[in-house]
Amino acid sequence: MFRFRSYRLRLLFLILALTGSAQLLAFLIVARVHRTMAEREIQRQLDVAAVQLARVVKQRNADLARGASVLSYDAGLRETLSSTDDIGTLRSVLENFQGRVGAGLVALLSTEGSLLAETRRGLPAANAYQPLQQAADEAENAQASGYAVVDDILHSLVVVPLRAPNIVAWVVVGFPLDQQFIAALKETTGVEVTLRHGSRTLATTNPNRGEYLTRALERPTTDGGTASILLQYSLDEKLAPARRLQRVLGFVFAGSLVLAALLAMGIARNVSEPVQHLAAHTRKIAAGDYETRVDLHREDELGQLAASFNAMAAGLAERDRVRDLLDKNVSPEVAAQLLRDGAALGGDEREVTILFADLRGFTTLSEKLAPRDLLALLNRYLDRMSGEIERQGGVIDKFIGDAIMALFGAPVPQPDAADRALAAAVAMEHALAELNLELARDGHPPLALGIGVNTARVIAGNIGSHRRLNYSVLGDGVNVASRLQSLTRTPEFDTNVITSAATIAALRDPSAHGLRPLGRVQVKGRSEPVEIFAAGSPSADAASAIGGVGVGPGS
Amino acid sequence: MLLGFAFAFLGVALPAAEVAFKVVDQKNQPVVDAVVSLVPLDGTAPPAVASTSPPLEIEQKRQEFIPYVTAIRAGTAIRFPNRDTVEHHAYSQSPARKFELPLYKPGRAETLLFERPGVVTVGCNIHDWMIAYVVVLSTPWLALTPAPGEITLGNVPAGRYRAEVWHPRLAKVQTREITVAPSANPAPVSFQLTLKADQRVRRAPDASGRGYR
Repeated sequence: MFRFRSYRLRLLFLILALTGSAQLLAFLIVARVHRTMAEREIQRQLDVAAVQLARVVKQRNADLARGASVLSYDAGLRETLSSTDDIGTLRSVLENFQGRVGAGLVALLSTEGSLLAETRRGLPAANAYQPLQQAADEAENAQASGYAVVDDILHSLVVVPLRAPNIVAWVVVGFPLDQQFIAALKETTGVEVTLRHGSRTLATTNPNRGEYLTRALERPTTDGGTASILLQYSLDEKLAPARRLQRVLGFVFAGSLVLAALLAMGIARNVSEPVQHLAAHTRKIAAGDYETRVDLHREDELGQLAASFNAMAAGLAERDRVRDLLDKNVSPEVAAQLLRDGAALGGDEREVTILFADLRGFTTLSEKLAPRDLLALLNRYLDRMSGEIERQGGVIDKFIGDAIMALFGAPVPQPDAADRALAAAVAMEHALAELNLELARDGHPPLALGIGVNTARVIAGNIGSHRRLNYSVLGDGVNVASRLQSLTRTPEFDTNVITSAATIAALRDPSAHGLRPLGRVQVKGRSEPVEIFAAGSPSADAASAIGGVGVGPGS
Repeated sequence: MLLGFAFAFLGVALPAAEVAFKVVDQKNQPVVDAVVSLVPLDGTAPPAVASTSPPLEIEQKRQEFIPYVTAIRAGTAIRFPNRDTVEHHAYSQSPARKFELPLYKPGRAETLLFERPGVVTVGCNIHDWMIAYVVVLSTPWLALTPAPGEITLGNVPAGRYRAEVWHPRLAKVQTREITVAPSANPAPVSFQLTLKADQRVRRAPDASGRGYR
């Protein structure tokens, strides 16, 4: 079977096949019934014609026999026939006889069967008569009838005795079944008639055009042969009205097929167009256009589908918006981790390098500036710093007011997390110097910052309630990083970046970052003193600009 | 045969004998109205024709000829009395005796002499079904079979004869040579005839009916 890629074509084919086959079947059945009926009717007509023919022949035979019998008792005729042997006289008597009974031919046979005289001229047809005479001689009613071909014309013959008062001779009377006879038969019965003797056609009314149904009546002839009387009726003629009807049916058939095709195409379009419409919109959505809406005002299933589609598009748009917000609110790596692993509470222990950066002198600034300008300035600072952190592959864990907490090595493990963190810290210093130049142009005082970097094993994961959570890290190492940041305010250290021995140990390239040991210090909350290092350039040049104003950690 | 020939040769007056006939048809049914006769073959002189008294008759009664068959020796006369209520017109076209008795009234009678041997068929011109046969023979030894189909001819001199049978439904006369001997009880001369269908015109059951079937 064909496989259609298009629903429209398939529907068209199905409906055409269904309609077409149903119509064709109906057409064939009708044609068959017509033919059967026509054949039955013709058979009936042929029956009638056969009966009619038999009746006519029998009637005419009886009429001739009666006429001949009556005449055979005519005393004068009898006298003449018995007393003369002149062939001319005998023939004239028979011709007179023929005229009286209205026969086609009359012949006189002796009791032995020899031909004495006959009305027809030409070669004597004694052979045609003798078998009938013999049959009559043996019949109790002394009569016989039958068919004979005389002068190429089929005749119906009757033989009756000539009595004086015993049988002294036989009289043969006959009438021809000639063209005129069959024409008359055709006129009364409407049936074509053909007379044959053996394979020879003697007479016919049949123009022989097209198909005929035939009833053949076989009659023995006196010469031992067989005469066939073919009664025929034209099937074409009988079927003509039916064929006219069939032609009309054909037009109706073709018309309804066209209508069905149009209907099928209409239905298909009604279905496929919205579907194609939906498909196009699906492609748009796949391309990221969630704002598009299917405009399909229908009550049916397709309408429901369109409504569902629109709802889906709205849902997708909503999700996209959420994703976008998520990306902005958490770092892209955390967002990806959340989307991948889900927002399940809990986490795992791993080594992470934590960076703490705090803006110094923010409180003074907040007193000088209007809150809106302050927020703009803060955002400008945070944006620059975040950029540097992310450039080094760090993840902003959270902003705590003017402070930044960033992670390296979580949620995505990084083998060079410590190097990246220190590089980010140094880069932040430089970035701040640039920012300060810009701020100076705008008439703002310069900013200063302190950065603490520590590497420790912590718990990393989703922290919070079931409704709201953050990806973050927990552990003592986080506090250490914060404390290291606080230590940058100690003037003796003369640095903006302080890191721990743990971070130094995790470095791949300890020669970079301009590291210098600052000795051991007591860190708040720690019983053991901690060995600390300064990174980057000394804070003097930067701090001189700021004026070495000590500022406490911002809240 | 030799004996008969010897008697004839010697010219001795021969003793007479009886000859019995038995005639049946193809179904072994006895045949009525068969004319049996003996034609002498060795010169036996038949006796002279004796006039019968009263003469034989074929009467016309109830529009029939009665009897149907009459066998006579040539030279015998037959009367044709009309004892009917209607007129008749008896005729014959048989070569042995052609005649015509034009319409004659009841009560009249014509006497006709039959001199030539042969079968004379008598009809009536106005009643198709009426028919009678007069079988005229040259021999005096003749008889008509009655109902049992058996008849005996008496006073037949011994000698050789041609026994003949004629019947209206027989196509051809049947013959057989026999020798008559003066023995006491000779076996009957048997004939089995092949009779044709009775093709006589049936008389209509009533006068208004058809004249033939």
